[in-house]
Amino acid sequence: MNKLRFRQNLRWVLILSFIMFWLTSCAGISKPKPMADLKIEPAQFFLSPALFKKPVTISGSGFKPNELVIIEMVLPEGFKMKGIGEDERNVGIATGNAGADGAFKTTVKPTAVLNWFFQVGWTPMLKPDFKKAKPIPPGSYDVIATGMDSEIFGQAVMNIIPPPKKKK
Amino acid sequence: MKKIRLILFGVFTLCCLIAWSMPTFAKEKTVAFLSLSDFTGPIAGLAVDIEKACEDYFTYINENGGVDGVKIRYIPIDTRYDVARAISGYKRYRKTNKLLVANAVSTPIGKALEPLFNRDKLVWLVAADGEFVAHPKRGFLWGNCYQDGFSAALDWMAADWKSKGNSGMPTVGYMGWDSAYGRELLRGGKEYAEKIGVNLLKPEYFPTGTMDHSTYLTRLKNANYIWVGGIDPNPTNVIRDAHRLGMTKTIQFVCGYWGPAQYLGVRLHNKALQGTVVTVFTIRGTDAQKHPLIKKMWLKYRKKPINELPGPYGIGLGWALHFEAALRIALKDVGYKKLDGEAMFQAYQKLGGRDITQGIQGICTYGPNERRASKVVRFYQVKGKELVPISGWVKAPDSISLHKF
Repeated sequence: MNKLRFRQNLRWVLILSFIMFWLTSCAGISKPKPMADLKIEPAQFFLSPALFKKPVTISGSGFKPNELVIIEMVLPEGFKMKGIGEDERNVGIATGNAGADGAFKTTVKPTAVLNWFFQVGWTPMLKPDFKKAKPIPPGSYDVIATGMDSEIFGQAVMNIIPPPKKKK
Repeated sequence: MKKIRLILFGVFTLCCLIAWSMPTFAKEKTVAFLSLSDFTGPIAGLAVDIEKACEDYFTYINENGGVDGVKIRYIPIDTRYDVARAISGYKRYRKTNKLLVANAVSTPIGKALEPLFNRDKLVWLVAADGEFVAHPKRGFLWGNCYQDGFSAALDWMAADWKSKGNSGMPTVGYMGWDSAYGRELLRGGKEYAEKIGVNLLKPEYFPTGTMDHSTYLTRLKNANYIWVGGIDPNPTNVIRDAHRLGMTKTIQFVCGYWGPAQYLGVRLHNKALQGTVVTVFTIRGTDAQKHPLIKKMWLKYRKKPINELPGPYGIGLGWALHFEAALRIALKDVGYKKLDGEAMFQAYQKLGGRDITQGIQGICTYGPNERRASKVVRFYQVKGKELVPISGWVKAPDSISLHKF
């Protein structure tokens, strides 16, 4: 009888302890924020100097009015990129400013194209060094836009395709 | 039975206590310094050496027990000089426990993040833009501002001109990058030139990657002095071209804060650079090599000969020494528990009037309405293989007040 009671008590203590641990460890996790809309144009592109003249455009809506929006490319697991720590997965590629309607439109600037798409080196004369470039491979990359005040985020996919084969 | 229940209740209470206290038990007292810098990008040549010094001094503090027992966590981010990457890096670390100060390697990064730094009540550091002096908020300059340094150089040129028996005022040429930084010096510097009567020629702005500067230099051939901006080895290359054109024989070249370093430009084009004057807010050349703290940190952590000391190393020590001094004040004022960016902001404003950097920079001038780390500069000149001092600390004119920002 005593053994049975002991087991019952022990079970309750373990359940309560588990609940306490769960409550305390999860206290810092906030609720997921509502999703905003995000659009990347063109839907697919290949890496070329044309990206400097006609940059990739990123637009979004559903953010807090007048907030700064950071757009990050999510690197595939194990992907190594110049300047990005091994424990990092997100690299900022553009920024936008939401208007009074919570919408923004921005482009991927040349510095970002050089650093993160082409992964160029830099000469001491502050010129990009394409000899040391290591362009990111074609593929689908997740892109996240996050409101810096609201933490509202939107998600889209950026498709980098292989460059067309040169005609002989 | 009661005994068993009591034991079980005890176990339960203990579990709860451990669960609640775990985060505070596990952590030692730390504060964080975030540096949004450039380690592999276009200005890595300058930024890396500054970062090394900052990291070295924080390591030294931590190895010696921290600041009143509080250790400093140094968080470097390689932005590759890219604003989006810097914002992304800040997003990642802005909620770091006791993040007190963020450093912005470039003015565009600082300007983009300033509203967030202000909202997060952080102290942030920025190179030398006068705008942050004109409208003081939470951004503090690494040293003196660009325009004051340029204006001090104009004073030096005028004095040098007269000391050589010339009458009137000299004609001065200006070469700078075709960028906001390149133009910044004249926002106040131009007005100061007018004020003292220096004939400032039309500025020559050139793209950062320019390989040959002959065209720009030729247009300034009637100058008595030419100011050269840019980050070494860029100014070195401008003077290399001037030397090739024979201009260094008749024109005195004067460079700015990021001018030729003893270990870089002075070695690269030694003959061409002879006599070049460099204006700085942190000791350089032979002075830096002899400085006890610089020498100690360089030899202890970099383990290289002192003659390989990079020019900007002292700037990073300046960041770290200001941080340490402010942290000490903030801890005294509010204690560790209440320590936050606001307490640090109040503490930075109390640093004025003291020699915080052990002579690496001038007397600190940070205050409630002052964001310049000091209001003085120093002049060095290339002589032989060295950058030797030709002045002590010189009070720079206040050119900020002359410009409408």
